[in-house]
Amino acid sequence: MNNTPITRRESIKKIVQLSAGIAVASGLPLSARGKTVFAGETAPTAARDAEAAVNGAWLIDGLGSEPDFSIRDLTRRMFTQAGGMEKFISKGDIVVIKPNISWAQLPHLAVTTNPEVMMAVIELCQEAGAKSVRIVDHTIHDARRCFAATGAGHVAEQTGADLVHPRQSLMKDMNLKGRRIDAWPVFVPIVEADKIINLPIAKVHGLSGLTLGMKNWIGAVGGRRNALHQDIHQSIVDLARFFRPTLTLIDAVRVLAANGPSGGREEDVRILNRLILSNDPVAADARAALLFDKKPEDIVHIRLAHQQGLGNIDLDADRQVQVTA
Amino acid sequence: MKVSRLIWVRRISQAFFLCLFVYLLFSTRLPQDVYLDYSLTFADAPDVRLAPPVKFFWQINPLAWITTVLATHQWVAGFAWAIGLLALTLLLGRFFCGFICPLGTLHHMASSTKPALKGSALAEANRQKPDRMIKYFLLTIICVAAFLGLNLSGLLDPISLLFRSLALAVFPALGNALNGFFELLARSDIKILNLLSYSSEVLVAPLFGYETVAFQTGWFIGILFLLILFLNRIRPRFWCRVLCPLGALLGICSKYSLLRLEKIDDKCTHCGACTRNCQGAASCEPGMTWQSPECLLCLNCKELCPEDALAFKLNRPLPVRGPARFDSGRRVVLTGLMAGVSLPFLGKLDGITHRSPSPQLIRPPGSLPENEFLDRCQRCGLCMKVCPTNAIHPAFTEAGMAGFWTPNLIMTLGYCEYTCTLCGSVCPTGAIADMTSEVKTKTPIRIGSAYIDRGRCLPWAGNGSCIMCEEVCPTSPKAIYLKDDFVINPEKEMVAVKLPYINLKQCVGCGICETKCPVRGKPAIRVISAGETRDPDNQILL
Repeated sequence: MNNTPITRRESIKKIVQLSAGIAVASGLPLSARGKTVFAGETAPTAARDAEAAVNGAWLIDGLGSEPDFSIRDLTRRMFTQAGGMEKFISKGDIVVIKPNISWAQLPHLAVTTNPEVMMAVIELCQEAGAKSVRIVDHTIHDARRCFAATGAGHVAEQTGADLVHPRQSLMKDMNLKGRRIDAWPVFVPIVEADKIINLPIAKVHGLSGLTLGMKNWIGAVGGRRNALHQDIHQSIVDLARFFRPTLTLIDAVRVLAANGPSGGREEDVRILNRLILSNDPVAADARAALLFDKKPEDIVHIRLAHQQGLGNIDLDADRQVQVTA
Repeated sequence: MKVSRLIWVRRISQAFFLCLFVYLLFSTRLPQDVYLDYSLTFADAPDVRLAPPVKFFWQINPLAWITTVLATHQWVAGFAWAIGLLALTLLLGRFFCGFICPLGTLHHMASSTKPALKGSALAEANRQKPDRMIKYFLLTIICVAAFLGLNLSGLLDPISLLFRSLALAVFPALGNALNGFFELLARSDIKILNLLSYSSEVLVAPLFGYETVAFQTGWFIGILFLLILFLNRIRPRFWCRVLCPLGALLGICSKYSLLRLEKIDDKCTHCGACTRNCQGAASCEPGMTWQSPECLLCLNCKELCPEDALAFKLNRPLPVRGPARFDSGRRVVLTGLMAGVSLPFLGKLDGITHRSPSPQLIRPPGSLPENEFLDRCQRCGLCMKVCPTNAIHPAFTEAGMAGFWTPNLIMTLGYCEYTCTLCGSVCPTGAIADMTSEVKTKTPIRIGSAYIDRGRCLPWAGNGSCIMCEEVCPTSPKAIYLKDDFVINPEKEMVAVKLPYINLKQCVGCGICETKCPVRGKPAIRVISAGETRDPDNQILL
C-alpha cells in the first residue's frame, strides 16, 4: 500500500530517478526514500508537536488597527511574537497548509481563507527552510474552480508551493479512533506532512454554529463526508483529535457573519482585521467565537473538545498576547 | 506505385485537421492552471473562458449553419467561415471531404490501412451504387425538419457525430481504463509499480481529468461509432458515400463546380487503378461520366494513373449529353420531404414542448425556450465535455424523441456550479446563451427548483440531524432555510432537529443539494425543471 502524496513536479522527478535507477540496474535508489505512513497507523509526526499544546498553550491575537495595514506585516509580527517560524518548522520539513478553500468564490466575499494570509504563512515556512509547502484542501466545489477563484492557485504560482488536487486515490482508509468515527478515508498528504498549519477562515455555519479551526478538518477527509452532519459536533472533535496541527491561524480579517458557510454576498461580510494564532486548537476557536459575540461554551464542538481534553476553552489571560499592525 | 506530391499535400492536410480536432476536443475543458490574480478579484473577476477556439469546426460547418438558419428563420451570426466554405465548394467541389473532414480522415484511414477488399472486389465496390442517394434523402429530411422546427442535423452531422463519439464515449472509456490501471499500480505492494503509478499524474490526469467520468448512453454512442467505422469493411468510406448529410450538401454544391476531372480517353489502358483507389465512387475511369457530387477530391485517380490519362482542370461544366436518364433524385427529394415534414410533429407528440414540460429535463443555464432550443441544438456534446462537474449528459428519454442526445443535467452525477458559465461559452449555435457569471447570478438564471422528499429526509423522518443541503446552497440568502423543531425518532423520543425548508423565490435549481445529499440513490432533495427562467409557463410561483 502506497500513500505518498505526490505533485506533478515531483512525479516527473521520481520517474526520471526511477528510469535512472533501472538504467544502472540497481534497486538502491528506490529504497529508503520518502516516509510512508500506512493506513491504520495513527499519530503522524506533527501530532506529537501539538501534544504539549494543552499545557504550554499560548495565543496571539493579531489586530490590524491602522487604516491600511499590511496583512503580510501583521502575520509576520505575530509569528515573530510567537518566537519565529523556525521554532515550529525545521529545515527540510514538508509543511502542509490547510486553508478553507472549499467554495469557488472570490476572496473578498470572506468564504475562503484570505490569500494574503496564506501567502504570508507560506513565505515564512519557506524562509524557515521548509523543503516543500503544500496547499491541501478537499474542496466542496470542483477543485480546479476553487483553486482559480479563491486565489489559492495564484498564491501557489507566486510562492512555488504545491497545490494538491483532492483526487479519490489520495483518500485512504485510516483508523481515526474517534468516539463517533473510526475507519474513515483520510486525505493522505495531510497525515504525511512533517508539520501542519491549519489556516481556516471564521464563518457562521448552520449546524455547528461557527466554522473555525476544528471544523476545517472536515476538508481533510474523503468518503461520505455529508453523513458526518448527523453527529457533527462529535465528528468534529474526533477529527480534531486525529489531526493535531502544529499551529492554528484563524483568518478573521474578513468574516462571514450570515449566510455561511457558502456566502456569496458582500452584505454578509464583516471586516474585523483580526488574526488568531495559537498552538492550542480549542483556545483559538474559543477566542474566534468571541469575535462573533458568541460564548465558546455555546458552540457544542468547542465545549466537547475542551471536555475531552483537546485544549483550553478558557485560556489564562497571561498566556494571551495582542499584536497590532 | 508512385505516390506523388499532391497526395502528400492531402495527407498532411488531413492529418493536420484531425490533430486540430483532437487538440480542440481535449481543450474543451476547464483549464487546470488558470488562476485569477486575487489582488484583481477584489473588484471584478473575469469569467473563466477557454483560449483555444473550440467551436472552430462548427463555424466552418455549412450544415450546422444552414439547418440553424432554416430552423430559426433568421440570420445567425458567427458562420462566415461556413459560407466561405460553401463558396469554395461551388468552385472546387468536395475538397472539405477529402482534405479537412476529420471523420472522413478516420474513414479514409480505416478503409485503406487494412483494406477488407482488394483487386476486382474493390473495383466493384468502388463503382457507383444507387444507395449513394440515401445521403440526399437524409439531407432533405434534416433540412425540411429543421425548417419545421426540429433540428436533427447533429445526429448525423459528421463533426457533431465525431465530437460526441470521441468526447462522450471513446476518450472517457480510455481515460477510465487508464485511471483504473494506474489505481491498480498504486495499490500494488511492489515499489517499482508504485512509483510507476505516479506517472498517471503526468500522463493521464492532464488529458483525461482526475475523476472517473460518466455519460448517460455513452455505451450506445460508442457502439454506434464502432459500427460506423465498421461500415468501411463493406465499402471504403461507406459513411461518406452513402450516409453523410454534410457530404450530400457539399455534393449538391459541387454538381457544377468549376474544377473538373478531364479524361484523355486515348491514353487510358483500362488498368483500373483509378477506380480501385477512388474514395468516393465517382466514376473517374475514362469511358464513364464523372460524378462531381460524389468526388471527394482525394486526387488518387489523377496521381495514381500510370498513363497520365486524368487531370483536374478549372473549366466550365459540360452540358449533360446523351439520352434522358431516369432521375432518382426527384423521388429522393419527394420522400425525404414527406419524412421531413412528419418528423418534427411526430417527435413533439410527447407534449414536452407544448403541453407539459418534462420535470426531469433540466437544460444548462442560459438555454433558450424548448422550441427555440431544439431549433439550434446540434447535440454535439461540447457543453457536456466542458462541464467541470460532469453534470450535463446526453438526454435519453427526458427530452422526448425530439430531444434525444440533447444536453440534460443529471444532478445525482454532478451539479451546476453557481458562478460557472462555460457551457454557454462553447455552444456553437447559441442554443445556450453565452453570459457572464454576473448575469447568471444576479438575474438570476434559474434552471429548475428543488423540493424536499420529507419521507426520505433524515431530520424530517426522525432519522438524525443533517443540514447538508442548507450548507451547500450557494445563493445568498440561501434558498434552503432551517427551522428548529422537534421530531419523533424511531425510539419514540422527541429530539431537537433543524428542518430544511425551501424558499422557492431564491432557489435557482443548481442541484448541488441533490448531489451532496447523504441519502444516496434517490436523494431526499431533488431538482425538477419547474421554475426555469427560460419557460414562463413552467413555473410554480405567481
